[in-house]
Amino acid sequence: MAETASKRILVIDDASLVRRYYRDALERAGFEVDEALNGVEALEKLLAEPADLLIVDVNMPQMDGITFLRSLRRQAPPIASIPALVISTEAGPHDRRAARTAGANFYLVKPVAQDTLVQHVSIMCGLSA
Amino acid sequence: MPLVRKPSSQAPAAAPLALGEGTSEQRWSAVRAAADRPDGLALLADALSRESDPRVREAIFTGLARLATPESAALVVPYLRSDDANLRTGAVDALRAMPQACRPHLPTLLADGDADVRLLSCELARGLPDEEANRLLCDLLERETERNVCAAAIEVLAEIGRPEAVPSLVRCGTRFAGDPFMIFSLKVATERIAAPARDRR
Repeated sequence: MAETASKRILVIDDASLVRRYYRDALERAGFEVDEALNGVEALEKLLAEPADLLIVDVNMPQMDGITFLRSLRRQAPPIASIPALVISTEAGPHDRRAARTAGANFYLVKPVAQDTLVQHVSIMCGLSA
Repeated sequence: MPLVRKPSSQAPAAAPLALGEGTSEQRWSAVRAAADRPDGLALLADALSRESDPRVREAIFTGLARLATPESAALVVPYLRSDDANLRTGAVDALRAMPQACRPHLPTLLADGDADVRLLSCELARGLPDEEANRLLCDLLERETERNVCAAAIEVLAEIGRPEAVPSLVRCGTRFAGDPFMIFSLKVATERIAAPARDRR
């Protein structure tokens, strides 16, 4: 818990219940959680305060997850190198490939159980799962 | 009667022919002017079917939303089925900007054979009066089998839901009893509906 408390996770998803679902799991595991409704808001938040990990949806208004990841990877360090976990309803190999090419580090398909989410976030933050 | 008609100061700056011609900047200007013409609907419909520049398409959708008639909404509706994500987003934004014009189309859209159209239409229902939105979304929840469509309906009901929606939410929950996200969403939605309006978040 002491390790996770120092890790800040930014959840980027336009669905309020999805954001709340992730926040509920991650805060119980001790992570600090912030939220953004789309890629534009996420970039604004990251420029103000970097995060340790991003959880990114794909289908979002204003700036979708793939466009966001491309933009993220063009930013200056340390923002450009923040690991990104994409969680999407899109399950096809083309969607996974598009996310990887854009800069995703890992890809999960919704629905994701809360313990699975915490496990992946912990590993990607370099913590023991 | 004068032999030469005086030029009207009301005449639109752009000729309709420019809608499909010239640079994207010229087409954008023509589209902006078309919405104010009596034949604007037909001009914009024709332009939308041919235009590929995202900025000009956005202007066409804005023009159709400004007209805000059931006919202009009807022209936008088919683009909810587009494979192009930008076109779908443009269509949703335009329909969201004309809730009254969109209203007659929603019962059909929420029963569409394409799950993606039903999903996007849940978000459009948010623009209806609460009572009507609740009725339409509860009807959808009673028959819907696609998880993502139900999740979209629950998302809207969590914000505008009325107590009458709770039985439909509960029955929906029985169909997704093994899905932790759906169980969580339904719990949050019913809690929000039960809470006084000032405590909803």
